[in-house]
Amino acid sequence: MSDRPLFLGIDLGTTNSAASMFDGTQIHPVRTPQGTTLTPSIVRIDRSGTVTVGAKARRMLDSDSDNVRGEFKRLMGTGQSIAFPASGNSLRPQELSAEILKSLRADVREQFGFDPARAVISAPALFELPQSLATSEAARLAGFERVELIQEPIASALAAGWTTNDAAGSWMVYDLGGGTFDCSLLETRDGLLRVVGHDGDNFLGGRDFDWVLVDFVLQQLSTSHSRIFRRSDQKLAAAIRKLKPAVEDCRIELTRARHTNLTIPNVAFGEDVLDVDMVLAQEDLERLCVPLVDRSIAVCMRLLKEHGLNPSQISRMVLVGGPTVMPIVRRRLSDALGISFAEGLDPMTLVAQGAALYAASANLDARPADTKPKEAGRRVWLQYPAMTSDLTPYIAGRLSDDPGPRPVSVCVQNESWKSAEVPVSADGTFVIPVEVRPHQTNELSLIGTGSNGKSVTLVPSKLTIVHGMTLSDPPLSRAIGVALASDRTQVYLERGCPLPARRTFRHEAVETVIKGDPQSVLRIPIVQGEYVRAHQCRLVGSLEIRGTQLTANIPAGSFIEVTLEVDRGGRLSAQALTSAGQVFEEITRLLVPDIQPDALEGALRDARSRLASLYAKAFVKKTAENTAELGGVELSLAEVERDTAAARGGDADAAQKAKRRLLDIDAELDRLEQNATLPELEVQARIEVSQALSLVSMYGSPSDRVLLNEAVAALQQAREARQVMELQLRIAQIRDLASAAYFKNPEAWNHQFNYAASRIDACRDLPTARKLVAMGREAMTRGDRETVAYCTEELWKLLPIDAQRKQMGHNSGLR
Amino acid sequence: MEFPLVKAISQNPFYVLGVGAESSRQDIEREGQKLLSMLALDIAESRTYATPLGDQPRTPELVRSSMAELRNPSRRLLHEILATLPSSLISPEQDERWRKAPSAFGYGPDRDRET
Repeated sequence: MSDRPLFLGIDLGTTNSAASMFDGTQIHPVRTPQGTTLTPSIVRIDRSGTVTVGAKARRMLDSDSDNVRGEFKRLMGTGQSIAFPASGNSLRPQELSAEILKSLRADVREQFGFDPARAVISAPALFELPQSLATSEAARLAGFERVELIQEPIASALAAGWTTNDAAGSWMVYDLGGGTFDCSLLETRDGLLRVVGHDGDNFLGGRDFDWVLVDFVLQQLSTSHSRIFRRSDQKLAAAIRKLKPAVEDCRIELTRARHTNLTIPNVAFGEDVLDVDMVLAQEDLERLCVPLVDRSIAVCMRLLKEHGLNPSQISRMVLVGGPTVMPIVRRRLSDALGISFAEGLDPMTLVAQGAALYAASANLDARPADTKPKEAGRRVWLQYPAMTSDLTPYIAGRLSDDPGPRPVSVCVQNESWKSAEVPVSADGTFVIPVEVRPHQTNELSLIGTGSNGKSVTLVPSKLTIVHGMTLSDPPLSRAIGVALASDRTQVYLERGCPLPARRTFRHEAVETVIKGDPQSVLRIPIVQGEYVRAHQCRLVGSLEIRGTQLTANIPAGSFIEVTLEVDRGGRLSAQALTSAGQVFEEITRLLVPDIQPDALEGALRDARSRLASLYAKAFVKKTAENTAELGGVELSLAEVERDTAAARGGDADAAQKAKRRLLDIDAELDRLEQNATLPELEVQARIEVSQALSLVSMYGSPSDRVLLNEAVAALQQAREARQVMELQLRIAQIRDLASAAYFKNPEAWNHQFNYAASRIDACRDLPTARKLVAMGREAMTRGDRETVAYCTEELWKLLPIDAQRKQMGHNSGLR
Repeated sequence: MEFPLVKAISQNPFYVLGVGAESSRQDIEREGQKLLSMLALDIAESRTYATPLGDQPRTPELVRSSMAELRNPSRRLLHEILATLPSSLISPEQDERWRKAPSAFGYGPDRDRET
């Protein structure tokens, strides 16, 4: 085993997985026993329960298709179990992924002589929190002590940047994997890689190319056998499982050949056993795939537009993933974007290479700890960049409080250079500037000197700093926040914020949670997405405070301090602190919920009816621009219809895809409906502005007036740009300013109190409400404004939150 | 509630990182990495930073977001303008009074406290 650190990177793919090892100088591919660098992400469990993984499992697809499974990555984070009927086992997607990871670990042991303990695993940039969590769990199940996740496009860019000499400029990474599509904009300067932004589609990949070809084959069979073959027919599930890998092989062959034969004897299509024998043409494949490729190009264009860039400003495009070798993909990309492709990179292993490089920058040595030689001496905690683009980085350290000789100064050296002696401060800390050699692995010795001038051994006495391209903090792919009972989202971490990140906000409990009561629960829903309305964001986790866990009641209106933290790999942790000082940290493991085809069809009907109503309005108003947007929604709905049909045939992945698309369509329809309300919103804006002007001029301070002027100018801009959401935000801001000015009016609290008192019958705790009203009235008569304000605020807390809104806010217990 | 201008000064990335507005990108990355290392070890001199509004607490999140802000050229330009203010407009004695001012006026911690 190497005496130098080794860094392992794993690309856990939908179709294939790969691993690479970085030794500080070179990246080595991890090879399978067959000598290849790819492990098919396929698992077979036979009658005796024996697990077979990779190419061997794939070979059994023809003869034992019921017990061979792949593409489970797309079900990560769901509660879906995958059945292996011969053995009677059912495994979750993360358990199957763990089998792939175990196989890769075994390959590492074979090649490098040790079982890796730590690694970096790549995940699609748009993976949501439950999916990232499931990936980490798979690694734990496979025996890894610690893993970090890296977003796939960042890994690709890191590897491309490392292997290319002339790396300065803006890049686009086009990563079309087996199941997901990611597109990222990156910038490299001074050896530092920065992610400018990314976009993608969690349900677009080589698999979709295969499915359109499967549908085409079924259509051909329907014509030749005068019988309708559909993916939605559950009786054909076994036949389709057999057909799919053969079609995938044909698709791969058609990247080079003009024609190929699809030949599968004895396929049982329900009761009919047929021989599938047909010729597939590259031309047909390309025609079928064009809409999918164009969908990916639309994502690239959207990303460029979001960042105010055009394709000519991008110096190169890095292609990642098997489907990018298809000529149609490259041709359409060239035609639409015209960005030159980065050459000489292996699209199949680039992600694993980047993950290995990232493991080095995160100092995640893959070697197990117990095999490293033990050292004796004064322990010291060190912090330094294990991989850096800086030629003069710093090393910071803190000595342990162990007994024994203590150094008064420390220095760092290698064979050709020695740093200055840096004094150790009274609290045992020090910071040393060091020099590293460019593009090399720098092994440095740490030396302590005692007060008597003798050297003091420090542990660790050696450290390694690799000089090369490094990655700035990765950005968060989607905003994360907490849903409130009012169906609003309190954003904690904005999209694009650098990771790791942590933020705390203080909320109030909507209802009392009673100590010991099993029915009493305060729910803190954690959502992901950019929408202001909580129900449009994806629910990705939930902190639940149960009455049975409480040491004291949580009264309605008492504060709950919530902290959300996301690490560099996108893993979330959350904490809630109650007013009684109790801390809750366990996030209810949220699974992407199972979806029934009936529910999908219901949602589809609703969306269709909303679309029809929008079409009718657009027709009446003769707005061609809206009609084009509505056409886009209609195309998406047609796709959802196809997926819903596939879901009826037992394709759980298609059900998830349909559900996610429906969420996006719902938001898009909301936006279009809101656009239709623009005239009403403009009227509302005029009213709010006039009220705010009046209140601020009467009661506001000079700074209130400045703020109001700024808000009105921004509102005007939003009106001109016809940005409905921005307009709503500005209206809310102006309303807040008006409200702040209003409360400077000496009579304001009296008015509010009288209004709250008039609704006393709706209050939750009537005796308390009555006391507050009496107390407030008395205070009003003696002119005690502070007490009137207090009574009013307490009454507000007793008034109910609208139940429907609360439900839309994922049943949040916070306001 | 904190006014945007106050926040723009008190959390100006150049002040957070303790570097001048003319610093190169490499200098900024180096100082940022150094501060993150020092904060991870809880080294005393990394805990606060000087601003025209007095010393402010420094956190790893603030250092990271400051580095990210300064990597973006257009965002950096905005911060450069504000970072030209001298980092101590207020004397240490005034600073002490300034810090105590909110509680003297009866204001507690912000309702939406960020850490």
